[in-house]
Amino acid sequence: MKTKRDRYTFWNQQQKFAPYLFIAPFFILFAIFMVYPLISSLIMGFYEMRGFKSRIFVGFENFTDLFQDPIFWKSLLNTTYFALGTLLLQLPIALFLAILLNAKFVKGKNFLRLAFFTPVLVAGVFVAIIFNLIYDQRAGLINNEFLLFGKEIGWLSNPRYVMLAVILTGVWQWAGFNMIFFLAGLQGIRQELYEAAAVDGANWWQSFIHITLPSLRPVIAFVVVVSMIGSFQLFDLPYILTNGGEPADAGTTIVMYLYKNGFQFMRLGYAATIGWVLFIIIAIISIAQLKLLGIFREE
Amino acid sequence: MRFPYDPENFPLGKGPMVMLILFLISCLFIFAPADETEKELEFWVFAPTHYEEYQARLPIYNTSHPDVNVQLINFGGTMHDKLLTALLSDFGAPDIVEVEINSIGRFLKGDIDEVGFVDLRPRLESEGWLDQLVISRFTPWSYGDKIFGIPHDLHPVVLLYRDDLFKAADVEMTEIETWDDFIIAAKKATRDLDGDGEIDQYAIVLDNKTESDYMNLLLQRGGGFFDAQGNVIIDSEIAIQTLEFFTSLFNEHKIATPVYGTWHGDPSNYAAMQDGKILSILAPDWYVGLLQSQVPQMSGKWKAISMPAWEIGGRRTTTRGGTMIGITKQCENPDLAWELLKFTYFDRASLINRYETTLIIPPLKAAWDAEALKQPLEYLGGQPLGELFIELAPELPPRYQNPYWSEAADLLNDAIFAAVTQKQTPRQALTELAEKVRSIIAKDQERWGIVATNEN
Repeated sequence: MKTKRDRYTFWNQQQKFAPYLFIAPFFILFAIFMVYPLISSLIMGFYEMRGFKSRIFVGFENFTDLFQDPIFWKSLLNTTYFALGTLLLQLPIALFLAILLNAKFVKGKNFLRLAFFTPVLVAGVFVAIIFNLIYDQRAGLINNEFLLFGKEIGWLSNPRYVMLAVILTGVWQWAGFNMIFFLAGLQGIRQELYEAAAVDGANWWQSFIHITLPSLRPVIAFVVVVSMIGSFQLFDLPYILTNGGEPADAGTTIVMYLYKNGFQFMRLGYAATIGWVLFIIIAIISIAQLKLLGIFREE
Repeated sequence: MRFPYDPENFPLGKGPMVMLILFLISCLFIFAPADETEKELEFWVFAPTHYEEYQARLPIYNTSHPDVNVQLINFGGTMHDKLLTALLSDFGAPDIVEVEINSIGRFLKGDIDEVGFVDLRPRLESEGWLDQLVISRFTPWSYGDKIFGIPHDLHPVVLLYRDDLFKAADVEMTEIETWDDFIIAAKKATRDLDGDGEIDQYAIVLDNKTESDYMNLLLQRGGGFFDAQGNVIIDSEIAIQTLEFFTSLFNEHKIATPVYGTWHGDPSNYAAMQDGKILSILAPDWYVGLLQSQVPQMSGKWKAISMPAWEIGGRRTTTRGGTMIGITKQCENPDLAWELLKFTYFDRASLINRYETTLIIPPLKAAWDAEALKQPLEYLGGQPLGELFIELAPELPPRYQNPYWSEAADLLNDAIFAAVTQKQTPRQALTELAEKVRSIIAKDQERWGIVATNEN
């Protein structure tokens, strides 16, 4: 029979362990759904499946095969092209839109903000279907109505233009979303800085270079890093837009190639290797970007 | 009457008490013993049209099997990935499943005894079904000496053409017998209508980005990517000559246009058809059904003839696409699953209904004499399309399945595009392709310690 003293001991013990119990669900789930799959996939990179029931240790063969695989290099090039398109086209447009919609002279700001933000609410599958029609070589809106280039361009049939078409679709879909981050950053800049600069005779461009951009540095760092990670993980948009990367793998991205190997070719070891190489690429690029943008610098 | 317990006294308040009560009630449902008298069958499909057909016919099945609860689930395009995961993890696979022809290869990898589907050959043989179906249609679903699935369809291919526009070009399509005849006729019908130097009207639309139309021609000619023994034969003379012919339709004869959009069922392609930019297309039965439902405004404008042959008296059709039904090894009651499978695939009334809704010709020969299949089809200006398909059905070429089909098809797409765009000659493209696929297979065999022998 428990004495009153025992009960007090239990209560004291319970109080000691309670915090760990409260945080345990997160760690258990994290271990099951993150740590275990990560370790498992790393181990898988050194094996290759033999059908559904057995696997064979292949050492570093998957890695050496990958670096000699022309489709992997092509998919890496395509993905990098998209990432550069995001960096050099999408983000400047997002920043420009944010500055425009933060300006005092623009009317109907709320409506315009909503309008620019709306594309991100549309599912990637629908975006791909819509742009498939827009890019059509002979019946599409761009070639048929605008005749921008004076001739039919095979946006989705000529390998040269396929990734450009994907980049432009990405701009339409994501520029408004990134604009919101820049807008929040712009609204956080103190007006006194601009007023002081104006008193000192600074023009708009000088204020932009010396006040706006430095003040936006943390926001720019966040948007650039997140956009780069998203770009390197690109999958659904080109998969549907290019019918699985066609023609001639011109629309194949790294994640699409990973998917094909894992789920269509049943080469799970090779797919795991692609996944880890992608992880390393993203980690290096992200750290490099953060360093370049001075995020690790002590103020 | 007063509630005997004051909810406010519950530790942490009223809200958590309500949640606890709901949780306990849910547990009663979750852990309640299942009705042992009811048998469960889970049936996965990926095509909405199949789902609608089976859903409508399940009540009929239940009248003869009232104790069977069939859970029919349509997962759409992601179904094959879900099935792969379930078979890999040895958990969660359905009892019965339909698999698409380009997806089945991946499920055949590894030891044949470890394939996740039940071998249906013993049941088919003992019940005499093999003779009642078109035997060549088992090849996509067979590997080694095992049959892992029953064909849902035949999918014979015809040449669908715009009768009005060919007649306007002074071409009588019913007189065409061979591909040489077709080229002569097509050159008359391919025209620059407005005199701007650009061709506005092409005699045929072909997919130059994927293997679909090239394989149509290659299978018709008796070739393929793999032979019955699993050998790579895509660099055979017949395959090279066929690709040379295929590319000549675009580059030399200039009578073919690449498919508008991503594939033949793309809205852009339909738009081009309506605008009279495309005069003909190689169409399997399901594609005619698709056109009928997606572009009803073109009713009466199309006609169909057998595919032109490679030589006089040669095969006048090929096969494109397909679905199988199989029983997974995770099924606990294969006998019951077999009964449902027979109801779905071998029931005459069900197959006639399928033709009426989708124009898909059944592989069960006993259904071919049905009146519905002889009826004139309004969409084709009153032509009895079913009769043409049934006439062609016995000629269907085999399409041998292989575990490496997915990789092979992916690389074949690139080879075809390279040949059509003249980056490589057809011989270079196919020789290189065959070497790649052979090296992939050889590497696996080396890893697995298999002496390279024919697997079938």
